[in-house]
Amino acid sequence: MNWTCEQTELRLSDHLDGLLTATEQHEFDAHVNTCARCTPLVSSVTHALASLHTLPQIEPSPRLVYNILDKTLGPRETVTGWAAVLAWFRGMNPQRIAYGGVSFCAMFLMIASFTSFNWKKPRVADLSPVNVYRGADRQAHLVYARSTKFVSDLRVVYEIQSRLQREDQLPSGQETTTPQNSPEKNPGRTDGSGPTSPKQQNRANDLVSHAVVLAAGCPALWELWEGRIR
Amino acid sequence: MRQHNRRVFNICYRFTGNRTEAEDLTQDVFLRIYKTLASYRAAHGGFATWMTSVTRNLLIDHYRRTKRDRATDSLDDAMPVVENKESTARRPDEQALLGELSGQVQSALTKLSPELREAVILRDLQQLEYAEIQRVLAVPEGTVKSRINRGRIELARILQQMGVRPS
Repeated sequence: MNWTCEQTELRLSDHLDGLLTATEQHEFDAHVNTCARCTPLVSSVTHALASLHTLPQIEPSPRLVYNILDKTLGPRETVTGWAAVLAWFRGMNPQRIAYGGVSFCAMFLMIASFTSFNWKKPRVADLSPVNVYRGADRQAHLVYARSTKFVSDLRVVYEIQSRLQREDQLPSGQETTTPQNSPEKNPGRTDGSGPTSPKQQNRANDLVSHAVVLAAGCPALWELWEGRIR
Repeated sequence: MRQHNRRVFNICYRFTGNRTEAEDLTQDVFLRIYKTLASYRAAHGGFATWMTSVTRNLLIDHYRRTKRDRATDSLDDAMPVVENKESTARRPDEQALLGELSGQVQSALTKLSPELREAVILRDLQQLEYAEIQRVLAVPEGTVKSRINRGRIELARILQQMGVRPS
């Protein structure tokens, strides 16, 4: 079959879209390659198609969407004043608001307590950053000092306990001479079961005096001491 | 609406060559769709096809309305202003060439008759299948193929007259 120029023009789109059969494509190519009229035609249409495919997608203006909404759904009503405030609140989740409010209040109370805010005589000046910092600093130092004192007291208690235990375990007849002590130096034991050597007696006196001083400042130690004496 | 407005706008822009007219026509398309949504039937084809059909009808109506005005316009007014939206990865000279070519192609498109223009836009720019274009234009498939073929050849001839030649 002889392919003609009219056929080339008629079937040009099929060729560009790849819709020709193998036989048709062969005859088309054979004709175009040898025809002085069809060669530039096919070339120019191919170029025009390629140029069309390079056209970019144009972005509409951002206002277009809102203009369409205004035209279809009508212009949006602008709410002002208290109605706008109430509408804003209505749009929020009440549970989340309550949870957030309670969390904020709890945090505020914790911070105020930590900074030794006086709830009985509250003052606005107490909320100033300088006073808050000073209160927090004072509280932090107090907590540190009390915890340090507690730890050192525990150490002293442990030391006294261990020494008293050691004193109890030592034999009573190591020293034959009984020291002549004045009554006021005697710690108060009248049953003769106290230490017999002067060194041990003095050591015991020191321990007791230290224990009494410590017990006066540490109630837990005082109770322990009293229990020990009884 | 957000999903389709870009596509509708591009069809309107490529048909009219004018950004402002394209935006106005896009609004009219969605307004028409909003009003006649109840008349849509799935048997008529997909929703996108129906939307394209509404767009095409409004474009043809607009073309006929403004036909008289176009007869008195100067040739300079007919040259559209194409905004360059190409990727910044291209070199400036390549971008300039591309922008110039895009303007020339757009100008050539607006010189086609409306029947050929809409067929070429739907096939080569919107990548619609022949069957879908047949539903949009409500003409036989043979007519669709014929219009696309003649539109491409005519476009190539106009581009050659404008001095845009294949390398």
